[in-house]
Amino acid sequence: MTRSRRGVLLRLARRNVVRQWRRSLLTGMAMMLGVVALVMARTIGDGAHEDWIDSGVRMGTGHVTLQHPQFRFSRKLDHRLPAAARARIAAALEAPEVASLVAQVTPRLEMMGLANSPTAAVPVNIIGVESEGEARFSQLGVEQRRVGGRYLEPGDRLHAYVGERLAQRLDLGLGSRLVLTAQDASGEIAGQLVRVVGIYRTGVPEVDEAVVHIPLATAQEWLGVEDDVTTVAVLLTSAWGVPRALRRLRARIGEEGDGIAVLGWRQAMPELDAAIKLDDFWGYVFNVVLFVIVALAIVNTILMSVLYRTREFGVLRALGLTKRETATVVFTEGMILTAVAGMVGVVLGFAVTWLLWHDGLDYSGALEGELTFSGVVLDTVVVPVFRRVQVVMSLGSIVIVGLLASLYPAYRATRIDVAEAMKFEA
Amino acid sequence: MSEQPAVRTSDVWKVFEHDGIAVEAVRGVTLEILPGEFVVMAGPSGSGKTTLLNLLGGLTQPTRGKVWIDGADLTTLSERALARLRLERVGFVFQAYNLLPVLTARENAEFSLLLQGMAEDERHRMVGELFERIGIAGLEDRRPAKLSGGQQQRVAVARAVVGAPALVLADEPTANLDSATSLALLDVMANLNRELGTTFVFATHDPQLMERAQRLIRLVDGAVALDERRSAPASP
Repeated sequence: MTRSRRGVLLRLARRNVVRQWRRSLLTGMAMMLGVVALVMARTIGDGAHEDWIDSGVRMGTGHVTLQHPQFRFSRKLDHRLPAAARARIAAALEAPEVASLVAQVTPRLEMMGLANSPTAAVPVNIIGVESEGEARFSQLGVEQRRVGGRYLEPGDRLHAYVGERLAQRLDLGLGSRLVLTAQDASGEIAGQLVRVVGIYRTGVPEVDEAVVHIPLATAQEWLGVEDDVTTVAVLLTSAWGVPRALRRLRARIGEEGDGIAVLGWRQAMPELDAAIKLDDFWGYVFNVVLFVIVALAIVNTILMSVLYRTREFGVLRALGLTKRETATVVFTEGMILTAVAGMVGVVLGFAVTWLLWHDGLDYSGALEGELTFSGVVLDTVVVPVFRRVQVVMSLGSIVIVGLLASLYPAYRATRIDVAEAMKFEA
Repeated sequence: MSEQPAVRTSDVWKVFEHDGIAVEAVRGVTLEILPGEFVVMAGPSGSGKTTLLNLLGGLTQPTRGKVWIDGADLTTLSERALARLRLERVGFVFQAYNLLPVLTARENAEFSLLLQGMAEDERHRMVGELFERIGIAGLEDRRPAKLSGGQQQRVAVARAVVGAPALVLADEPTANLDSATSLALLDVMANLNRELGTTFVFATHDPQLMERAQRLIRLVDGAVALDERRSAPASP
């Protein structure tokens, strides 16, 4: 097709879009609303997911977790990180290309054990922590979660920070004593007396009843592991940096066979990963349904326009346009509408989302109590996240929909019988 | 050397199927129309005039037989080649004018030249001269909706003849016009025929048009019942 012919077809398509402005407006509005809904869903959805991930990694083992390769399966002290491994990890984390991605690092010694009081014994997950770093890392230590006392501090030794439900079950208050028992490094059952300095509430029953923080040095001495830890948890400056951080750390630390596994939060917290994927899946289903409806609206209006202009297409063919060129006119009309509606929709979508919710969408009014999901306490205020990829995705989606929806009407335009078209009365 | 016909048919048939019943719209028509002829095909409704006109213009393919325009056999051409032939060698004038509503009068008239990639200056010059000749100068920038029926049909005639085609086919071109406007339009086409040598083939009921015919072909039930050449030219 020559340039002059392309110019004629484009001129015809452009003017037809304007000429049938009511129909164009209707079709464009349908497309635009689809894009606005998509942008809103993506920005809010991404904001919610980022919140889930942030809450999850802070409550759990960070964006990136460094452990012995077997620890996450065995939970045994046999599979801990010795001093040499910790040194390698520290060196890798200090490397400039990794350090630029890292916000916080905290070592932990985790073990399963029992918490005993004169009234009861409850199985718990005992975590030895460096109080200063952990206070910045974990959500357990923050003031909003505290119902009494304080979080662990440097200099604490025989102190414990426990959940509200555990305190209730063991009948503990601030200053109460409890005995923690666990298997030590030599395989013997060992006990440690500690005193409650603080009580927290996350709203997640399995956390509030089962997670006990004690000073790392106390745990190491009690269990006879010297300076060893089971986990080094790393918080990154952004969840989007996880793949890069994993790649760079693995390049420095080596493969799992070297005694250190570098895990992303998706591997370390598969339930949270599955929850986000499931939510994404339903998000995509919603988008597909939305865009199928939009596509049907587009097909309907463009097809109506083609049928209404049957005689006109017959004239174009009589004047020397090929079937393909006739289809190109219809297809171009669809794509002009798509481009305009897509761009306006994206701008409008971001603008409306920002105007309505840039301070966060608060859905606490729709809930009773706290919102927990997959062992994570979720913030009831979701702050939308704006990214370039959302622009690309939204425009890409509407272009695909517009393209597919324009194909059938364009095909129908090629099926018009020229001689019959001349008898057509609109 | 004998002159090559502008259009020629050989035993052309067109059969339509309606609810399983075959309807013979054109039956075994063989004719030759020479360059510069002013031909009127007349006949009652359903006699096959429009179908024969569509066959001559390559808008529909014969069920049987052959059609040649300027020596090119339409029945053997690809869809693309046929479109090119219509663009370059055939002009159409329709009963309902059929101008493209989104284009101005000038753009409608120069449509075939636009598709052929002619430079803008040259197009404007040719259309300007033609508009002057057929009495619609000054209306170049109007859209069809802003033109009277007679003016629209003149633009349609300009569109048909501007590329100097071998053949202009006009289907009931005066049917939607009043008597005075019809006469004026016929004058325009007769002048173009005389001055530019454009070949016109009309399908019509219009007695005024039949009177102007240099050659009258009467169709009855899809077949040629009369093919009469007249000595008088198609002058106004």
